[in-house]
Amino acid sequence: MRDSADTKTRRDREEHWRALMRSGQNGDGKAYAQLLSELLPLLRRVVTHKWPSAPDVEDVVQEVLVSLHTVRHTYDPNRPFMPWVMTITKCRFADAARRRYARSANETTVDVFPETFSGDQTKTEQETSTDQEDLRKLMSTLPGGQRQAIELLKIQGLSLQEASRVAGKSVASLKVGVHRAIKAMRDALERKT
Amino acid sequence: MRTEELIATLTENCSPVRPLAHPEWRAVPWFAISLGYVAAVVAAMGLRLDISTKLADWRFLAEVGAALATSMMAAASAFCAGCPGRPVWERFAPVPFLALWLASLGIECWRDWLASGGAGLAIRPDLMCLPVILAISIVPGVLILIMIRRGAPIAPISTMGLAALAAAALGAAGLRLFHTEDASIMVLVWQFGSVALLTGLEAIFGRRILRWPTLQEALAADRHSPR
Repeated sequence: MRDSADTKTRRDREEHWRALMRSGQNGDGKAYAQLLSELLPLLRRVVTHKWPSAPDVEDVVQEVLVSLHTVRHTYDPNRPFMPWVMTITKCRFADAARRRYARSANETTVDVFPETFSGDQTKTEQETSTDQEDLRKLMSTLPGGQRQAIELLKIQGLSLQEASRVAGKSVASLKVGVHRAIKAMRDALERKT
Repeated sequence: MRTEELIATLTENCSPVRPLAHPEWRAVPWFAISLGYVAAVVAAMGLRLDISTKLADWRFLAEVGAALATSMMAAASAFCAGCPGRPVWERFAPVPFLALWLASLGIECWRDWLASGGAGLAIRPDLMCLPVILAISIVPGVLILIMIRRGAPIAPISTMGLAALAAAALGAAGLRLFHTEDASIMVLVWQFGSVALLTGLEAIFGRRILRWPTLQEALAADRHSPR
């Protein structure tokens, strides 16, 4: 008895939403707003049920709403409404899950953040001296032109034009020199580690 | 933005939209236009000299007919795949015709092997097939791409794969009418293989080509073009 009452309620709801959707497709903004508002609790429930620990349920729900809106012309008024909504919801949910997994694959959970700043005060004394020593040694191995470009642009902090005047070289050759120097130093550091 | 505000934004300038036609009714004009284009290409290239003999051969007709049916059904399936809520089995509708096409080539290969042994299944390089099939199917392919972009990207990989299959199968059917290559193994490897390759390649790019519009794109579309 209760099942049949539930079925009837669902059927009535389906008919009601179909009518609202048809009106929405015809440009009736009020009916369309009513439809999306009535769908909102359902969408929140579905997303929360599928992904109970998701921190961004509301973001996924909003994506679903935007998607429903952008493809509302794909709803065939002669077909059931709920499968149309649920297909889009599942699809957007899967997209969000895929994005989340892709993001988490590039993230590492740590208890204590490692020191990654260039400022010496954020590093231990040992790290500071080792870094500086390594860079000094690598600088001394660079060809003269590349070393001068690094000194002027990266250590003294001159602009390209200023460095060009001081070194008597073109801006382009300074750019190339810095690029090659950094690449050579990076390669050397990678080999070392 | 709060979700209630989003709903207000979306419905504020809600323009009327025309529901998409039934997938079959979208597939028919695509197939008609594409068939006309392929016929024009075949006419420009010139029919093969033995066309009257080939048209009397039921095996040739079965092979080309299966390729055309695959094309038509793949197009209808691609359009179905862009309509949320439609049954998933519709995406597999071209499979029987694809199997028929493959079987017709396979049976011919079997017959060649029985008649000539290993020599009947010798594969020679025929690098013309892939570029020619690509060239013939480019116009049907672009046309179906424009049409499937009107649908919802709920299954972008299969939608793009089906669309590519529709265009490439039509191109392969057209190629059979002016390219005098009848060794079944060659047709299987170079022509059917080209269709499979193009289908797979386009399917890989499905997610990049068919994507959901952002909120800004959706609102801009509402402002500029009532569907």
